[in-house]
Amino acid sequence: MPTTRTPKVNEVNEFLEIASDFEDPLELIRESLSNSYDAGATEVEITIRDRPIGSEIIIDDDGEGMDHDDLESFFDLGNSTKRGRNDGSIGYKGHGTKIFYKSERVLVNAAKDGTNLRAQMDRPWEKLNNRTMPEYEVTERSVKEENSGTRIQITGFKSGRGFSPSSLTYNKVEHYLKWKTLAGSTAHFFTDDFHEMEITVRLGDEIDDTRDKLVTDNKLEFPSEQLEPGDGRFPASRMCKHYSPHEFSVKTHEGDETTIQVVGMVGGKDARNELPTYGKHSAQFGVWLAKDHIKVERLNEAISHDNEFLHFFFIANCLDIELSANREKVRNKSSPVYQAIEEELSHYLSKVSSDPWFEEYLDQRRRAKLSRRAKSQQSSVEEREKRVDGRERFSPSNEIEVVLGLERSNREGADPEIVVEDYDPDAEVDALVRQDDEIYASSIHTRLTDHFEADKPLESVDKIVCWSYGDKDQLSELERHGYHGGEVSFDLDTGRLSYENGHRRNIHVVRVRDRF
Amino acid sequence: MAPSGSQRLGDELFEVIDEAGDARSGVIRINGTELETPNLLPVVNFYAGGTDSSLYGGGIHRTIKEFINGDEAVNGGNYDRYFDGVMTSVASLTDYGISRDRYEDYIDAPVKERDVFDFDGTLFVDSGGFKFLGDRKLDGSDFEVDVDQEAIFDIQRKLGGDLLVNLDRPISPDDSYEERVEKAQLTAENVAEFLDLTDGGRYTRYLTLHGYNYSMLDTFLEEVDSVIGRDRVHREFDGVALGSLVPLKDNKGKLITAVSDCRDVLNDWGFDDLPLHVLGISSSAIPLLAAVGADTFDSSSYIHSAINGKYCTSLYSSEPVDDADFSRCDCPVCSDPVLVRRMKGDAEYQKDKLGAVAMHNLIIQKREVERIRAAIQQPGTDGLTEYIEQSLGRQQSMQQHAHRVVNESLGGYF
Repeated sequence: MPTTRTPKVNEVNEFLEIASDFEDPLELIRESLSNSYDAGATEVEITIRDRPIGSEIIIDDDGEGMDHDDLESFFDLGNSTKRGRNDGSIGYKGHGTKIFYKSERVLVNAAKDGTNLRAQMDRPWEKLNNRTMPEYEVTERSVKEENSGTRIQITGFKSGRGFSPSSLTYNKVEHYLKWKTLAGSTAHFFTDDFHEMEITVRLGDEIDDTRDKLVTDNKLEFPSEQLEPGDGRFPASRMCKHYSPHEFSVKTHEGDETTIQVVGMVGGKDARNELPTYGKHSAQFGVWLAKDHIKVERLNEAISHDNEFLHFFFIANCLDIELSANREKVRNKSSPVYQAIEEELSHYLSKVSSDPWFEEYLDQRRRAKLSRRAKSQQSSVEEREKRVDGRERFSPSNEIEVVLGLERSNREGADPEIVVEDYDPDAEVDALVRQDDEIYASSIHTRLTDHFEADKPLESVDKIVCWSYGDKDQLSELERHGYHGGEVSFDLDTGRLSYENGHRRNIHVVRVRDRF
Repeated sequence: MAPSGSQRLGDELFEVIDEAGDARSGVIRINGTELETPNLLPVVNFYAGGTDSSLYGGGIHRTIKEFINGDEAVNGGNYDRYFDGVMTSVASLTDYGISRDRYEDYIDAPVKERDVFDFDGTLFVDSGGFKFLGDRKLDGSDFEVDVDQEAIFDIQRKLGGDLLVNLDRPISPDDSYEERVEKAQLTAENVAEFLDLTDGGRYTRYLTLHGYNYSMLDTFLEEVDSVIGRDRVHREFDGVALGSLVPLKDNKGKLITAVSDCRDVLNDWGFDDLPLHVLGISSSAIPLLAAVGADTFDSSSYIHSAINGKYCTSLYSSEPVDDADFSRCDCPVCSDPVLVRRMKGDAEYQKDKLGAVAMHNLIIQKREVERIRAAIQQPGTDGLTEYIEQSLGRQQSMQQHAHRVVNESLGGYF
């Protein structure tokens, strides 16, 4: 007789698991901003303090507040009241706020429809780790009907290693807000009735005392356009072009349809620096996939390899990408819809890459680089001129100059005349020289020792033409140890080199400097 | 300086009706025929492999001629609209090693006047320079006629061509500057003779141009100019045929450069009102080259594909004929059960199977060219941009070329 069983869920473990995904107090800010936005807030203020008992984070907004149901869903797991809503709400999984459990205390004060609810949960993280479900106490009181809003106070937040609030700065927070939260939303490009929200962040002086607060909004704005190059050594650096918001309907191979909203810019380093980047551009620019207009992950593969992605800053929003619990990754990368998005984006960006303006921008960069190089060439020419003026006599520093030196010695009447008839720097025997109407296979070097360092054979050369001998001890060592399995000896007074390897060979060493 | 010859046929020959960027659509009117542009002229070999007793013979070429006529042999049907203009080459007479007698027989009466051909479209007769002169030798030995400009013109005239080109010396991508100039000079001498020979006759004359970029084309025109004078080129030629591009056929980037530079050169020389024919290039290059200003094309690829067993599914793709699903095509060939049976292999001769496939291929190509024409005829450049986007922009290998012509010729995307 079969029996029916229902799988069980270990609730405590689930809470632990989800909350463990979050480590960074900034993620707490991200989740809070989304909640405030979903609650219709027009202003939200976040305060972060680094206290001896642990960090304290307060989020205060003027949204619609919470009733009992909202409060339940705030603390419950996977029970979002926003699930199934189609009003642009960001949260829907009921996962995000579970980050609050990683703390000593969660205190929520929410006013809605004339009622203030105060909920307090003590030591949630400790309890979860002791395998106990933390509880929260709710008290209710009346307030004025028109009062609404939510204030969440998290005490003793347990940041992950390396994520301590003390390491935060206003710059870092601003960058995070604009890159990872709805403060960097691109929604305003695509809707007329955009819900605007002012965001204020205050860091305790113990964290960053360089300013009082950071005020921003929930709009990503691009640096102003500058289509023409500027002056100076880096004329393309402030060039910037906006690519207007564009909506694509994309069909998957399976026939499903989705919409991608793309907006972006292409620009040089100075233009990009006008965004709150605070760090390496290679880690920040390129093509971002976004959900709810919040950037999630980059898809730089969509830009063809011959283009450096860091000139690009494009945000492609699509409701049909699915996110991991901590919103850091796209989960459905093997789905047909993701593939269709990837194809469409690649196609769109191939058009951007072929935009004549972009080619002109790259050309400006190239030309500026060439002109910088020409300038440095110029200064190197000047240095070389100085060197030439300062030396007592001609002294070659490479094989070609040795050849020129040899010709110069002929001109000045050196005897015998040795003329280079053929020179191929890539050949092992690089020169054919004529002396007394005979042609000799020759090897030309700055120093005699270079021939051996280059590991060139002695069997095929009649002459070694060099400016100097080089290190004579090195030549002596060759006499001691032999070369290529044969015996070698030098008689530098007569300019002779003998090589014995099966049969004997005499090679004429021409030291060009002696010919002057 | 040669005496001033006859005027060209006048501005009414080529009328540009719509423009989209550098692309244009219009009509070429010659000898009572009308050819809408851009257009593709199938290469038809009217005499391939015929016998003494029949001008008609010749394998797959015979089947094509049966389609032109709508003969019972191909189960009737009216295929006229796909043969509104055709290209044939003087060189086609040499393809089968015919005798002097056969040759005399072939040129005995103009194509359009022969009872065996029911053809009344525009007949473009190429000089065949690409065949005779490919190895830089003049050789007409198969039928014992010395091939020079005079002989070529004589054949063109006897075939009854509506549209003639001078005998030319095609260049090759490996030619040095000096070789190209020498060929340009030889072509220029032919051009001078061609103008003299055609003087007084009501011939529509196309000047052949050879070069892969602006400078080469400009040098070529300078040479022609120095032999016959710019004035004559201006007054006497009705159109321009850009040749020597076949070796570049797989390099779309170079083809685009050649054609768009050719248009620039023609503008700078004041020839912008002349129609531009691109010799020997077709298929997926057509929309790209039409976008940069080519007006007509010719191609035998519909036959060659068929001979290689390829059944075209679009201008850009094909599949083995034995894998083809004919029910997915609504062209007259694929809608004719008799022809479908032949394409499936139920045919007495291979030519009956592949001839039908060739006809289908041509229809596919012609229909696509009609779409390109319609896209150009839409107001603005959006129609053609959209067409190029949808047809080529989605193919990885063609994308960059599609983007290029949209950017360079159609005003760009942004």
